[in-house]
This record gives sequence, C-alpha cells and structure tokens, in this order.
Amino acid sequence: MSLVPCFGLPSLEMKILLAILSLCLSGSTALAQTQLRFVSWRSEAAAVWDQLIAGFESGHPGAKVVREVGPHSSTEFHDLVTQKLRNRDPEMDVFFMDVIWPGEFAAAGWALPLDEYFSVPQQKEFLTAPIEANRYQGRIYGVPLFVDAGMLYFRKDLLAKYRLPPPRTWPALVDQAKLILARERDPYLTGYSAQFKQYEGLVCNMMEFVISNGAALWDEQQLKSTLASGQATQAVRFVRDQIIRTISHRGVLAYQEPESLALFTQGKALFHRNWPYAWEVANDPQRSKVAGHVGVMPLPSFPGHKSVAALGGWQLGISRFSRQPRLAWQFVEYMASHDAQKQIALATGRGPARAALYRDAEVLAKHPHFSARYETFILAEPRPRTPVYLPLSNIMQRYFSSAIAIPDSNIDQLAGVATRDMDRVLDLLRERPRP
Amino acid sequence: MKKIIFVAGVSVIGGFSLLPFLWFVTTSWKTATEISAIPPVLWPSFHWEHYHAALVQHGLLHYIANSAIVAGATTVVSIVIASLAAYALARFKLGWGRYYLLLLLALSMFPQIAIAGPVWRLLSALGWLNTYHGVVAAYISLSLPFATWVLTIFFKELPYDIEEAALIDGCSRWQALRFVVFPVAAPGVFTAAILVFIHAWNEFFFALIILTYPAVQTLPVGIALFPGEYTMPWGEIAAASTIATLPLVALTLFFQRRIVQGLSAGAVKG
Amino acid sequence: MKSSSDPVWRFLAPSFLFVVLFSLYPIIESFRLSFYRMILTLPWLGQKFVGWENYQDLFSDPVALQSLLTSMAFVAVTTPMEVLLGLGMALVLNESFRGRGWLRAIVLVPWAIPTVVASQMWRFIFNDRYGLFNFVLFGDATDRYWAPLAEPGLALLSIMVADIWKTSSFAALIILAGLQGIPRELYEAASIDGAGAWQKFRHITLPLVKPALLLALLFRTIDALKVFDLVFVMTQGGPADATNVLQFYGYKKSFAEGMIGYGSTIAVAVFLLSLILSLIYIRLLGARLLAQERPT
Repeated sequence: MSLVPCFGLPSLEMKILLAILSLCLSGSTALAQTQLRFVSWRSEAAAVWDQLIAGFESGHPGAKVVREVGPHSSTEFHDLVTQKLRNRDPEMDVFFMDVIWPGEFAAAGWALPLDEYFSVPQQKEFLTAPIEANRYQGRIYGVPLFVDAGMLYFRKDLLAKYRLPPPRTWPALVDQAKLILARERDPYLTGYSAQFKQYEGLVCNMMEFVISNGAALWDEQQLKSTLASGQATQAVRFVRDQIIRTISHRGVLAYQEPESLALFTQGKALFHRNWPYAWEVANDPQRSKVAGHVGVMPLPSFPGHKSVAALGGWQLGISRFSRQPRLAWQFVEYMASHDAQKQIALATGRGPARAALYRDAEVLAKHPHFSARYETFILAEPRPRTPVYLPLSNIMQRYFSSAIAIPDSNIDQLAGVATRDMDRVLDLLRERPRP
Repeated sequence: MKKIIFVAGVSVIGGFSLLPFLWFVTTSWKTATEISAIPPVLWPSFHWEHYHAALVQHGLLHYIANSAIVAGATTVVSIVIASLAAYALARFKLGWGRYYLLLLLALSMFPQIAIAGPVWRLLSALGWLNTYHGVVAAYISLSLPFATWVLTIFFKELPYDIEEAALIDGCSRWQALRFVVFPVAAPGVFTAAILVFIHAWNEFFFALIILTYPAVQTLPVGIALFPGEYTMPWGEIAAASTIATLPLVALTLFFQRRIVQGLSAGAVKG
Repeated sequence: MKSSSDPVWRFLAPSFLFVVLFSLYPIIESFRLSFYRMILTLPWLGQKFVGWENYQDLFSDPVALQSLLTSMAFVAVTTPMEVLLGLGMALVLNESFRGRGWLRAIVLVPWAIPTVVASQMWRFIFNDRYGLFNFVLFGDATDRYWAPLAEPGLALLSIMVADIWKTSSFAALIILAGLQGIPRELYEAASIDGAGAWQKFRHITLPLVKPALLLALLFRTIDALKVFDLVFVMTQGGPADATNVLQFYGYKKSFAEGMIGYGSTIAVAVFLLSLILSLIYIRLLGARLLAQERPT
C-alpha cells in the first residue's frame, strides 16, 4: 500500500534559528579608516571622477571615499537621497543636490549650512545664479558644480535660406516658423520641439514663457501665487494656441528631453528648446543628421521684456548628520576646485559653475561654444527657492499640462484653481520661524 | 476547423508576446540615428556597439549576476516557507486558517511604496542595507502572501489518498509534505516558483533605496543607471534587456517539463 | 490523524515571522501616520495628530477623487482583459503540440522583462514620430500618426495596453497550472457521452478552473491598484493628470513633497479599495475555497 520511505530529519525549528542567527552575525563590522560616503549619479566621464577621487584620497591619507550610485533621473535620485536624510542616516556625508532642492533640504534640516567653510569671497568665484539657488534665508547650503540653462537651437541653414535673422521674440519665432513651414512643404517638419510632458521640465519650459512676459510664478514676499495674472495667462494661452496648435504638433505634449531632441537631430524640427548638452549631440555626425547646420542663441522673450532661461544644474551638499563634516568639506572643496572643475569640463563639456573657466584658454579651445553659453548662464533664472518647491511644482505641472493639453481649456478657470491650491501650500510657510 | 483556430491562436499569442520585444531587439542593433528615424526603419544595420557599451561600460553581467542571486535566494526561501504554511493551512484542522489567508492577502494590498520607508528603517537598524540578505528578506515578505495563496489552493485541490496512506504508515507531516505532496503538486509549485522569481527579478523601488553600492545593485537598478540626465540610450537599454531576458527564457525552457508534468492525480484516482 | 498532534507552529512560524516583521510593522506604521500631519520640509509644524482630518481632506480633494476614478477605470479594463487573455493562452498551452515548451517560454518574455525596461520600451513604441505603434498602423504616412501619450483621452489606454501586454502571462501561468489539475478522464467521459468542445469547456473546464481564475483575478486587481512603474516612466501622471492613478498621487505626496501624513492616508485608501474589491471577488467566486473542509 504505502511504499513511501520514511527518513529522519533534524528538528525544523533549530534549523531556522541557526539560519537567522548566522544572518544577524554577518552584519557590518567596525572600520579602520575614516570612510567618507559620497552619494552621486554616474557621470559620462566616470574615469575622470575616479581619478579625481583617487587624487583626494592620496592627498588625505586615512580617508577612503566610498561611492554610492543612484540613477541620474532627478526624481529617482531625490527618493534615494531623502530616504537616508529623513531617517537621519549618518552613513552619508556628501551628496549631489539638484538645483531645486537646497530650499527644501535647508528647511528640513537635512543639509549642513556651509557659511563657516564657504566664505563670500570664495562664493564670488562662481556664477551668481547657481550661488543664489543654494542660498536659503541668508545662508548657503551647497557648492555648485554644474550649470544648465535653457537655450534655443535652430536650423541655421533653413533660416539662412529664407534670409531670416534668429528671432528675438516669441511672436517673431512663430511668424518665421509659419513662413518656413509653408514654403518648405515638408509634412514631417515641425516648427517647434520642446518638453511639454507633465513633469518638472514642463515648469522650466513654461516659466521661460511666463516670466519673459513680465509675470512671475508666485510672489515670494506676499506668499501668493501670481499665475492668474493677465500676463501669465496670456503667455500660457500663447503656448497653447500659437505654439502647440499652430506651428508645432500635439506630440510635444508627451516629450521629455530625449524625444524632443531626437526630432531636431533627425532634421524634423525647425526650432528646439533644450539644455546645453544638446549642442554636442546635435553637432555629432554619428548621432545627428543636421550636424553643422545648428545654431544656438538665448531664448526669445515677449516684446518689451527680457529673455529668461530656466536654471538647471547640480551642487554638492553635506549631510547634517555626517559624522565628519570637516573632512566632507575638504572633499567638496577639492571636487569644486578650479583644477578639478577644469578637468571635468574638458572631459564632459558640461558647463562648470566657476566663472573663470569660461575664459580659460584650454577650455575654450576644446569647447569654443562655452563663451556663448556664458552669456546665457549669467541671464539664467533660478526657480524660486522655497521648502515647498516640489508641492508647488506639482500643482503648476498639473495646471500647465491641463491648460495646454486640453484643446479648449478654460485657462482662467484653471489658473484660478492652481492659484487657490498654491496659496494653500504657501500659507504653510507663514508660520515659518525667522532666521 | 479546430486546427485552424488552434494555429491562429498560437500565432496570435506568440506574436502578441514577442513582437514588441522583437522590435526592441532590433533597436539594439541600430545606430543612434536609425533608432529615432522618422518614419521608423525596420531593418537594423547590425551594429554591435550598444552591446559592447552595455556589457563593458555598464557592467551588465554583474547586475544580472546580482539579480540572479537575489531572485534565486528569494524564490528558494519563499517557496519553502510558503509550502510549509500552505500545507498547514490546507491540511491541518485550523479554525483560523481562513483568517490567516485573508490577513496575508490584506497585507499584500498595501502599496509597496508606502511601506518602503519602514522596511528601509528596519533593515538599517539590523545593518542589512546594501546586503543580499537584506533585500532578499524584504522580497520574501513581498512574495509570501502570493506564494502562500497559490500553494494553499493547489494543495487543497489534491486528493488526500496517498498522504493518508503515508500518515497511517507512520510518516510525519513533514515527510508527507516532502515526499508525497511535493512531487504531485509540482506544476503548482514550479508555477509559484517562477512567478516569485520573476517578481523578485523585476522589483525596482525597494532595490533602488536598499541597494546603493554598485557591488550589490540588481538589474533593474543597473539599467536605471544607463540614462544620463537628459539622454535616453535606447540602444544600450535594448541591448541590456535582450541579454537580460535570455537567462529567464532558458530557465523557463529548462523547467517547463516540470511545469507540464501531468498531474499524477489522474493516475491516483484511477 | 489527530489534529492535536499536528505541528502547527513548526509549519507556520517562519511565515509568521516574516509577516510580522516585514509586513505588519510597516503597515501599522503607515496606518498610524495617516492620522498625523507631517511635512518633512516644514519641521517647525511638527508631527501633529489630526485624527480624521487627512481623510476628510482626501474626500474633498478633487485631484484625489479624480485619481480614484482613474485607478478604478484602470482596474476595470486591465484585470478582465488580462484574465481573459490569460485563459485563452492557458487553454492553448494546455494542449500538447510540438514547440509547446517554446511557446511557453515566449509567453513569459513580457513578464520577464523588468517593468522599468518594459515601460521605456512602450514609451518608445508609442512615440508619435518614430514609434512602432504608428508605423504598424500607418506605415510611412507620418502626417496621420497619433500621439497616444500626449492625448488625455488616449494616454490611459496606452498604459493599459502596456500593462495587459506585460502581465497577461502572469494570469496565463496561474490558470495553466489550474487547467493541468483537471483529470483527462473527465473529458474522455464527456466525449463518450457526445459532448461538444463548448459544452466540455462550460461544464468541465470552467467550474474546475475557478480557483485559478479567482487567484488570477485577485492578484491582478491588487497589483493593478498598485501600478507605478508604467505611469512613472510613460506619462508621469499626465497629460493633464489623465493617468494620475491613486498610488502615483500618493507617491508624489510622500516622496516628492514630503507630506508623509497625507501620503499615508492615500496608501490606506488604496488598501481599503483593494480590500473591498477582494472581498467582493471572494464572496462571488470562492467562498467555499477558503472554507476549512476536513480532507476526505
């Protein structure tokens, strides 16, 4: 009947207990050297970074830099870094901050104020806008490393063909695009390619329209949203009607940087708004069909106002919970030093935050467009610094996306809703203790 | 007629599953300008640079190895623990068995993102961050509800005869489970195992915040490291996913006989 | 077999341990936090107990209510489709034919690709200029191309398509294992009695595969309410919040905005929704599955 053999086996509970014990004991052990934990994303010039870090270690015997790596995507990196900070994890000393985080990190007590290390004369060696982005309530919380700003790319060859000067105002850009599209008769060509998906990049793109029409996103003194003002809604209406409906196409509502640039490098876009990195890509024959035909200039504005470029970039911050702030500062100072920044700039072509490098002969020899870029960087406008930037940004993203994606949106009504929501968030700041 | 429907069914299923992926595979062989060509080009120019970049520059094999270790360990431990629990729930007379199952189900309903924080804190307190066993422990807790449910339901559906005979012969419950139930429930067990494995293979958010040392990062996190701030290297990601899917396909092909094994219950009933 | 000698604790202890440590504790934490107002970036506001206020805010928050509808729509479409497609796939895979092993492996490919990669792939496929979707529909006629991810009406559908592609095989595997448990003799006996294919399906297959169907339905519904990766990569909740499912909104509140209290409240809402739906399924389909029957 039953032919199942019966074997004896040791008690199950003992096995489980032993397993758990061995797992607990294999936890981390004490360390001999001083470990400096550096949380970053992986750079395109990883070799240069490795070299620099090795240089730091040899200059500081006993110090070992332990790297932790996260994705480059701002949102994902934010999740990773804040997870450690919100739990007061001492196992993180230096980390990268996106340009919109210093206010948040300062107010939350996550970033160490750096005024005792980073003196005002030292700050003056950097570009002004990024330094401003790192200030909160009079103190400084980060050292800028890289700078980005929105720029307008255009097809030099097509503008030359129709003898048109690069447009200085948005209405002029629209007129030029209409003319060229009508004459070129290329069904694949679009007048304007940019980032209009519902994400942070949308705020960058839209603020370049709104602020260059003389409006503001919100009033930092009164703590009230100003998106319902006539000039702000006019700018948004312009984007919906003149740009997306007329010279561009619905697809841009789903674009982030890669898709919008792809259109331009395939030769299917006339005007393109993007960050400085696009210059290298667009002029590389391996990656672009329009290499050599690309022009770049500061963004247009509305008549009577000045041009505005959204400021992007990354800075180094020190965690408030770090056990070795002094060593951490030495590392930050080293990575942000003139030599280190120069090496990185030569290797990657990313705009450094140090002003002097834009006049450096070696750098300009390798990247001649840096001098033009400099002009844009000094005009760049940081997004307003506030601890509640991300909640406000989410509300603005929702508003802008609804306004431009829904075909006959009632912009004034949507702006009213956004204003109400933003004011509710801004009210939370009223109880803020004065510094 | 039935044959035609059948062949049509096979083609549709195969095509549906494979076509989008095949498109991605051809993308891995295209040059940068071919990838975003407007309109799209179907036939790639067999350009191996993306594979080289994925393997050498990004160290793809290392991430695959980590994922294999983590997913493998998760599967083995989850299935063992879940089988024990499922057997008890299916065969022992417990008044509260049904409530335990419902509790497990309820626990799996809570969004992972919401519990990521406390789990991270727990692992941090234990010193298990950036370790294999830390992330495996987290994954086991995520897959236990599902594995337990699947195995409980399959064990319940098995006929009791042989087990009964074995128990009468003097085998313990454990021996009955190991030598009688397991072989006969193989299809259910291997199905649960494959699903747990793939779930652990795919998991991203916990891995993102728990594994920050390059040495232990798993595949989904590794691939998330491919893009630059504004650049999306479609070619390299396509190459990486092609390489990464091969082990899973091989695994399935290898184990599919076990999954197929006709239930000997048929023979037993007769 | 006397139940008193059954080594209950030995069998259930390991499962218990993991459940209590890694599941119960985090969930109770989240529940607890949902009754507090806690905004990480505004520490001077402290961690204030606000009772039901977060829940009241949730019900009067138009964005939350909209995202609830979006989530429900997502579940209502994807879950039945996935179970149906899974059933179809399982029925085919249950037949013996040459190359069955290969088809089974192929069917797993969508599920095997990490979701973050699959999401990027579908974002690529749905592109309005160089995407496969448009090419298949319209060939070279670029002026007729659609932009599925850009239209508020189509974006959610696109995500549904991606989800159905990805997880139908999950349902298929479960249902297949269930199908294999049905003894062949039943079909043979039915054939002898003169039953046709449809009758065999209706009276033998369907009733006996119900447990597997319930499993697939339950877990797909629960997972559908938790969908995140697809939304994050393909649309970031847009355009115009069209794909802002409840859990994505919760993620933005908790992780991006640091509003832990309200974020936890949203998570609890997702949980309650899953719970209600699951209880409905179990009542309709499988109450007797959970009944403690003595083995006979």
